[in-house]
Amino acid sequence: MKKALIVAKWEFYEKVFTKTFLISLILTPTIIITFAILPTLLSNQEDNSIKTIGVVDTSGTYFNPMRNSIEKYKLNNGQPNYLLINLAGTQKNLSEIKKKSDEEALSGKLEGYLLILNGGTDSVKIEYRSKNAGNFKDLNKLEESFNLARIETKLSKEGTNPSIMKYISNKIEVKPIKIEKSGEGSKSDFLILFFTSFVFIILLMMMILSSGGMLIRSLVEEKSNRLIEILVSSCTPNELLAGKVLGLSSLGLAQVLIWTIMGIVLAGTSLVPMYVFNNILPIFGYFALGFIFYTSIFVGIGSIVSTEQEAQQITSYLSLIIMLPIVVAIPAIQNPDSLMVHIFSYIPFTIPAIMILRLNIGPIPLWEIFSSTVIMIGSIHLSISISGKIFKIGILSYGKRPSLKELINWLKEK
Amino acid sequence: MLIVQNLTKIFKDTTAVDNITFSISPGKIFGLLGPNGAGKTTTIRTVLNIIKPTSGFIRFDDKPINKDFFNLIGYLPEERGLYKKSKVINTIIYFAGLKNLDKKVAFDESIKWLKKLEIEKFKDKKIEELSKGNQQKVQFITAIIHNPKLLILDEPFSGFDPINQQLIKEILISFVNSGKIIMLSTHQMDTAEKLCSDILLMNKGKDVCSGSLSKIKKKFGTNNIKIEFSGDISFLNSHPSIIHIDSYSNYAEIQLRDDVYPADFLRSVVNRVNVTHFSVIEPTLNKIFIDAIKQNIN
Repeated sequence: MKKALIVAKWEFYEKVFTKTFLISLILTPTIIITFAILPTLLSNQEDNSIKTIGVVDTSGTYFNPMRNSIEKYKLNNGQPNYLLINLAGTQKNLSEIKKKSDEEALSGKLEGYLLILNGGTDSVKIEYRSKNAGNFKDLNKLEESFNLARIETKLSKEGTNPSIMKYISNKIEVKPIKIEKSGEGSKSDFLILFFTSFVFIILLMMMILSSGGMLIRSLVEEKSNRLIEILVSSCTPNELLAGKVLGLSSLGLAQVLIWTIMGIVLAGTSLVPMYVFNNILPIFGYFALGFIFYTSIFVGIGSIVSTEQEAQQITSYLSLIIMLPIVVAIPAIQNPDSLMVHIFSYIPFTIPAIMILRLNIGPIPLWEIFSSTVIMIGSIHLSISISGKIFKIGILSYGKRPSLKELINWLKEK
Repeated sequence: MLIVQNLTKIFKDTTAVDNITFSISPGKIFGLLGPNGAGKTTTIRTVLNIIKPTSGFIRFDDKPINKDFFNLIGYLPEERGLYKKSKVINTIIYFAGLKNLDKKVAFDESIKWLKKLEIEKFKDKKIEELSKGNQQKVQFITAIIHNPKLLILDEPFSGFDPINQQLIKEILISFVNSGKIIMLSTHQMDTAEKLCSDILLMNKGKDVCSGSLSKIKKKFGTNNIKIEFSGDISFLNSHPSIIHIDSYSNYAEIQLRDDVYPADFLRSVVNRVNVTHFSVIEPTLNKIFIDAIKQNIN
């Protein structure tokens, strides 16, 4: 074991002071914070100029009430967000109005216009025609204003008391609260959950991929210049393998540790909110387990390739498996109790990411934490012993990559 | 004493090493020779305990090779290369550590060897900043830093200029004098001829000829002469006493028929060409190599 430690120390110190490591130390959190914050910033960006919206309503029912109901949307400087123009004023043929309005929308005179058909009846239909029909924020506001106007028109026609009208049009929102301890709760938000979970998972994926790639490249190098033969004539392949997994895992964990410290320093600022640290210890644990598991797989696979190209090819296959948890992340947040999420909580490849995700969503029963940890430790044990057998033969084979049948034979060898 | 007995290694359907037996005593340089693909590297790997033989056994100092053996061997593989981005001194200490050498001792020994090989000033440089020859010196140091009892060197002189080749040779000879066992694999026949006292010539995994070099020379000793001259010797091409002639612009190496005395042959040519030098020669290892492999193929 002493020699395994020597190998581990070497792998650690020789990589911790490299430029690549220092760059990834700074670059990775920067990229992730950018990814996490940018979409929120963009979608929260307020309009800063008045938008002109046309209304084509041949029945003439909705224009005025809608002008009232849309007034509640204001720009930051207090000016109204929308200016409504009645386009149906000079009773022309509907198709002509449509043609003219389309042209105005395309030329940019109008942001867009509402085309109201069968106005005043129960089968009213409405289209929002615009160059930019995907703007869901405009669409939401217009829809709400129109519906309000529609209800108010109907109720006032029926002679309803204005206070009841106000009551009906007043919408109550459901506020989601995440229960942490009985009686206490904090405001929860889909986006926040999504991003905090994603930050950890992507961090894990990126680190596994970058350090796995580093590991495979260094193995290819050691194989091509026969350093590997000097190494295995100095210690057993198992010691070498253990040393490499240990060294690289410590490297990865050191990286996370530095990030955590960076995070604590920035904690409470707008960049890193406090709640990120709620579950830091178990997250750290799953991080470590996932990292060691994947590193031990990478060692086995890295030992059977002998060129850089092959290494890249294999790394890209592995990335697909590693990316799997990201695909299930969104459904998992939406429905943390779904069967799929529970199944993935028992598969070693997805346990770390899914568990980190679930820790963020809500408390996990203790036995599940226990069972997933046991599965991970067992899997690490298994993957190290399989990788060890492949490693032992793989590091001395050059040229053609072994076939699956050959690999199985390697596994059978003592 | 290293003893290799009836060593055989079969990979799937090819026999890489076929029933090889040899032994090396302390204080000897043993030459492992053979054309490419003869099975030398496989033989070396089994001795290094990197791969297990299919049959046969290897003993070192009357003990089977095992984990403790790791610290007694030094190995210089044919393909060179170290961790390019690492510092010279760190690299040497790392390999010394893997051979169980204490860090302090490893440092002192490193400095000693770096000085001896005249590259001490590069000790804090990265390997990639060194010239190819100096990188090779660093690698040589990593192979010998722990004072191994058995040293296995694969083409140790390739890539060195004549001055450095001489330096390495002197170090090897000093090792032999201090009782180390050296196993040398090389294609440089003249070097092997000068350094090795025993050889094993392999081809296609088999022992083609082996034993002490002087005995082998006697066995392959044919009636060979070297003649230096000025003039035209084309008449020798059809001379009845000659089996084979290698003629160059002003000298020729000639193999005579076994029943021809060199002196008689000399007498028969002095009248026709101006002979400036005449000597009876032993077969070179180079010639033995080529002849033995050719015979083996036939």
